[in-house]
Amino acid sequence: MSTVPVTPRHARQPSASVHVATPASRVPSGSMVHASPHYQTTRRHSLYGTEDRVVIDPGSRIWKVGFSGEGRPRDVFLVDSLWGLSRAAEIADREEEDRLLEIYVRAQLRSVFHDILLTDPKSRKVILVEHPLLPVYVKDTFARVLFGNMQVPSISFAPSHLLSLLSVGRITGLVLDCGNLESTALPIFSARPLFPQLRTTPLAGARLTAHLRALLLLFGTYLPPPTSLSGSASIPAATRSTRVPQEVLTDAVIEDIKTRCCFVGDPLDASADMQILGTPSEDPMDLDLPPSERAPSESDFSRVSHDLDSTAASSGFSVVSRSQVGLARNESHLEALANMYKRHSTATDLQLKVTPPATQQTGTGLGTLVIPGWVRERGAEVLFEGGDIDETSVAETILDSLLKVPVDLRRTLACSILITGGTAMLPGFIQRLHSELLRAIASSASSAGRPPMRPDRPRPPAYDRYAVLRPLVPHLAVLNNPSPPPPTGTRGNAQTGKAPAFAPATMPWVGGSLAGSLKTGGVELSREKWDEAAEEERQSAREDASEDMQRRVIRNVLPDWTRMPLPSGAPPVTRAPAPVHIPETAAVGA
Amino acid sequence: MAPNVSYHCPCLSDSTVPPPPHHLSSSSSFHPLHELFFCEECDAIRCNTCVSVEVSGYYCPNCLFEVPSASVRAEKNRRVLPYLCARNCFLCPCCRNTLSVVPSDPPETDDGRTLPVSAVGEPPFFLYCNYCRWDSAEVDITFEKPTGLAGTCTAQLQKFEDSAPDSLEFERLKEHFEPFLLRAGATSSLNPTTSAHSHHHVNPVTAAASSALARDIPGVAKYTPAQSTSGRRSKGARDEMPEYKARVDASSSKGAGLGGEPDVEFMRRLETVSEVASLEQRWSSSWAVSLRLSDIKPLRMPLHSRKSKRCPSCRHILIKPEQKAQSVRYKIKLVAANYIPAITVSMPAVAERRATLNGQATASAAEASLIQAGRSYPFHLALTNPLYDPVQVRLQVQRQLPAGAPRGADDEGTEKARRPPFAVTLPNTAFPIAAFAEAWEYEDDEDMLDDDEFGPERGAREKDARKNKTVGVLERRANVTIVGGEVLIGKDARGELKFNMLVSYTYRSDDPLAEDDVKATPSRRNVPEMKTFSFCTIVSLGTIVPREESRSVNVDL
Repeated sequence: MSTVPVTPRHARQPSASVHVATPASRVPSGSMVHASPHYQTTRRHSLYGTEDRVVIDPGSRIWKVGFSGEGRPRDVFLVDSLWGLSRAAEIADREEEDRLLEIYVRAQLRSVFHDILLTDPKSRKVILVEHPLLPVYVKDTFARVLFGNMQVPSISFAPSHLLSLLSVGRITGLVLDCGNLESTALPIFSARPLFPQLRTTPLAGARLTAHLRALLLLFGTYLPPPTSLSGSASIPAATRSTRVPQEVLTDAVIEDIKTRCCFVGDPLDASADMQILGTPSEDPMDLDLPPSERAPSESDFSRVSHDLDSTAASSGFSVVSRSQVGLARNESHLEALANMYKRHSTATDLQLKVTPPATQQTGTGLGTLVIPGWVRERGAEVLFEGGDIDETSVAETILDSLLKVPVDLRRTLACSILITGGTAMLPGFIQRLHSELLRAIASSASSAGRPPMRPDRPRPPAYDRYAVLRPLVPHLAVLNNPSPPPPTGTRGNAQTGKAPAFAPATMPWVGGSLAGSLKTGGVELSREKWDEAAEEERQSAREDASEDMQRRVIRNVLPDWTRMPLPSGAPPVTRAPAPVHIPETAAVGA
Repeated sequence: MAPNVSYHCPCLSDSTVPPPPHHLSSSSSFHPLHELFFCEECDAIRCNTCVSVEVSGYYCPNCLFEVPSASVRAEKNRRVLPYLCARNCFLCPCCRNTLSVVPSDPPETDDGRTLPVSAVGEPPFFLYCNYCRWDSAEVDITFEKPTGLAGTCTAQLQKFEDSAPDSLEFERLKEHFEPFLLRAGATSSLNPTTSAHSHHHVNPVTAAASSALARDIPGVAKYTPAQSTSGRRSKGARDEMPEYKARVDASSSKGAGLGGEPDVEFMRRLETVSEVASLEQRWSSSWAVSLRLSDIKPLRMPLHSRKSKRCPSCRHILIKPEQKAQSVRYKIKLVAANYIPAITVSMPAVAERRATLNGQATASAAEASLIQAGRSYPFHLALTNPLYDPVQVRLQVQRQLPAGAPRGADDEGTEKARRPPFAVTLPNTAFPIAAFAEAWEYEDDEDMLDDDEFGPERGAREKDARKNKTVGVLERRANVTIVGGEVLIGKDARGELKFNMLVSYTYRSDDPLAEDDVKATPSRRNVPEMKTFSFCTIVSLGTIVPREESRSVNVDL
C-alpha cells in the first residue's frame, strides 16, 4: 500500500494540526456507553448473537435493513417500484403481477439475509416495518417468502408510524409519513394507532418526481454536446440550447435532481409578491458555462433561451404541454405560474451533465441540462397545493386527521406532530409544512389562498373548515422541525424541534430497532402458526377438488388492522372475496 | 439473443409442470445449468432460490482476512461494527473503490534536505483513492500509524463510530423506555386475565414486552384538556410516560443536516451539483447528516461470507467451500452439471445467415438472428452425457396451452393470445448417448471413427443428412448426441420463440443393495437396474420478426 509514491496533496501539512488522534476525546463518550449498567445487562442476552432481530423496512422504492439494537440500518438500497397504488384489472394479469412480486421480493429478501446481513434466516426473528396502508397481498407475499423460502422463526408486523414515534421517545403523537406513494397522517395515542382517523393523500415522492419531470420538460434547457471539441468555443450556449428531450430525463436523472438539487422554499406570500417584484430577483447568478467567453449574464441567457422557446417553438410548446406532459392547462396559465414562481425564487440555476439521447448521439461528451433555480425551489409546491378534495395537500392531510380525532385528544396530538419519510428529507420541507399548517388554519375562513371554484357564483357562506382547530394554533408543535419558528410560550409549543436528530427517513427503522431491543413491538406471527394455516388451507383445497390448487388465498392469520372487529351489524370478513377464487381456466377461457 | 436452453427447478412446489413460457414470471423458474445443484438424497434439481444458505465463514473481500464468526457475533459488545473489516480496508465514499493508506510527504527542512524517513513513511497517514483522487485528509481524517497494524487502524476509526450520536441517542431511548415497559408489565401482571404470571417472575422484560402494547390505555378516562398543562404530569404521573429529553435534538445547530435553515441556504446558493453528496452517500446514516460532498467519511469494507448451501427438504449439504478464504475449492460440490445432460441448441439456418451477413459486413447482431414468421426452421439440440454410463433420452415438447384453455376469444387483440402459433417437431423415439469417458479412453474409438466418420466424405454425409432429414438423430460422437428438430412458425406469429421441453433419461442405477428403492440416484458405477429421471427445460430460439417488419428492416439497413 505504501507503494503509492507521492502524496497527492503537498500543501496538506497543516492537516496534522487538525488531525483527530486525541484519544482523550473518546474516553468520555466511551465511558458514557459503558457507564450504564443497563446497557451491559441487556447486552448479555446476545451472547450468541442471534438474539437481535432483523429489522426490515420495505418501502415501495427504498428498503432499509439491519439488526435491532443498532442505531442505524446496515444497508439502505433502492428497489424497483414493487407495488403501486393500482393493480391490474384482469385477474390473470393480477396473478402474474403477484407472481412477479413474489419473485422479486424473494430475490430481495434472500440478498438481504445472505449478502447484506450475512446471517442465517432460520435463527433470526424478523420485525417487518409495515405502513398502515400496505396492501394485504404485499404483506402476504412477504410472509410467504419469509416463512416458506427463508423459514424465519417469526415475523412481527409493526406499524411504521408507531415506530417513528418510538424513535423520538414518545408513544403519543400525530405522525405524518411522507413517502414515495402516499403521505399518510396517523394519530397515535398511548401506543395505540387510531387507524380510523388515518388520512392519506397521493401527494408524495412519486408525484413530486412526475411534477419535476414535467417542469423540466417545459422550462428546463438542454445543451447538446458540442459537435466537435474545437467548435464548442465559437458557438454561444444560447444558440445551442434546445428543449429538453424526454429521453434525457431518465428516472435516475430525475431522482438525482430531486435528491441533490431540490429544496423547499418559504411559503409564497401574496403581499411579498409586490416587494420582490421591485428588486431584481434574477440578478446575475454564476453559471459555469463551458469556458467560452465570459458568458452573458444568466438572466440574458435564460431570456434568450426563453424567447427561443416561445417564439420559434411556440407550436411545439403547446404540443409538449398537452401530449407529453399531460398538463391540461393552457400555456398562459403555465407561463403565469412559472413567472410567479420565478419571482419567488432566488435559487441559482444549476447545470447537470446528462447522457445525450441515443438518437442525437452526434456530439462529443455529455450534454448539459440547465435546471432553473425556481424549479429547484418551487418544484415541491405541488405537495402544498391544497384545495382538491381527493388530493389534499400534505398540511391539510394532517389537519383533516386532527379534525377526526376526538376533541379531548386534539391538543395533545397537535403539540406532538412528527414528520417522517423520505420526501420529508428535502431541505426546508418540515419548516415549510409547519408554516403551511398555520396558514391553512388561518386561511380556512377567509379562503384567500384558494381561488373560487366557480367565479360566476357568489362564494357560499363562509365554510370555515378548520375553525375548531384555530384555538390549537399556539400549541401546534412539529417535534422534529429543525428550524422552529419563535416559540409561542405554551408548553406544547416548546416541544417544537425537541425530537432527537434522527433523519426523518430512517425514523421508522430506528423505532423498529428500538422495539426489537426492548423485546416488544407489533403482533408476532410464528412459523408454527403460519404452517398450521398453510396445512388447513391445503386440506380445504383438497376437499374442494374443483378449486385450482395453485390458488392464492390471503391467509387470515396475518395480522391486519383493516379486519379489526367491526361495529355490530357488519359481519367480519374472514376470507378473501370470491372473485379471487375463479380458476385460471375459467378466467382465461370465456 | 442467441438460442439457449435453461433448466427448470420446481423449487419445492407441488406441481411438476413448469409455468408456461410466455409468462414474464416464468423466467425465474428456469436457470442455466451451471447455476443448479443436484440433491442425491431427494433425487432432485435444486436452484439458488430454494436452497437454504448457511454462513460458513466471514472474510474481507479486500485483504482476504478471515474473521472468525465468533468475533463477528461477539464484537458487537464492544461496539465495533462487526460486519466491517477490522483491518485497513476502506472504501472511497465517492466511487466505492478501495482506498489505500498513503503517507504524507517527508517534511522539508529549511536547508532543503529531507529528513530521513522511516520505511513506512511520514506519520500523518491518510486514505487515498487511486481512482477518483479523494483523500481522507479533506475530511480531516488522518492516522498516526500506517497500514498493517490492525489494532491502531480500528481504534482510529472506532473513535468516530463510538461517538456516533445515533447509537448514544439510541441507548438513551432504551433507558427511557425500559422503566416504562417494566411498569406496564407490573400493572398488567395485576390483571387477573394475564396468564403470564409465573412467566413474569422468570423474565420481567419479556412479560412486560408482551403486554406493552396490549395494556389498558392509561389516562384516557381521566384525561381532561383543561388540566393538561399543569395537571397532566401530576395526575397521570404513574401511567404517563415522562417527557423524553433528547441528547441532541433536531433544532440544535439550527437543524443543519436535517433540512433546516442552513441547509436551505446552502441549497439556494448552490453553484454546482457536485457539491452535494448523492443520496446513496447519505442515506444509510440514520442521523442528521451533512448534505455536502466535502463532509463524507470513508466507508469501511463490509465483510463477505462464504456460504454453504443445503437442500431445502433433506438438509443435505449441496455445496460447501473449503475453510480458507484464499481457497477457491469446495469440500462438497453436487452440481447438476455432473448429473443431468447438458443441452445446447443452435439454429443452423440462422447461423448460416449470420455468417453470410457477416461476410458482407453489414449485419447487426439483431438482424442476424432474425426468425421470420411464416417459415419453418430446423434446429439442433446437442446433448452431452455427464454420466459414466450410456443413457437413453427421450424429448417431449410440452404443449404451451392445455387444450380447451386458450387465452380466450375475449382478448384476441392481446399479444399473448397470438403468442403460441408455432409448432415444434422433435424426434419421438428415445435415442442413446454414449457414456462419458476421460479423453484418453476415446483413442481407440477415434481410429475407428476416423474411418467412417471423419473421412473426406464426412461433410458430404452430413450435408446429406441435413438435406434428407431435419428431425431425428443427426450425429453421435463420444458422449454427445445431436438431434434435429423443426419449428414451423405461423404467419402472424410474433414475440419470443420459446417452448418448454420435457427431457427424460434412463440410465443404469447403481444402488448397491437397492436398500433405498425409492431414491434412485444417477451416478457413475454400474449395477444393472434402470432408472428414469425427468426434468423440464425451456428452449429459447430467438425473437420472431413478423413478415412485414422484417422486410422493412431489411430495407432500412
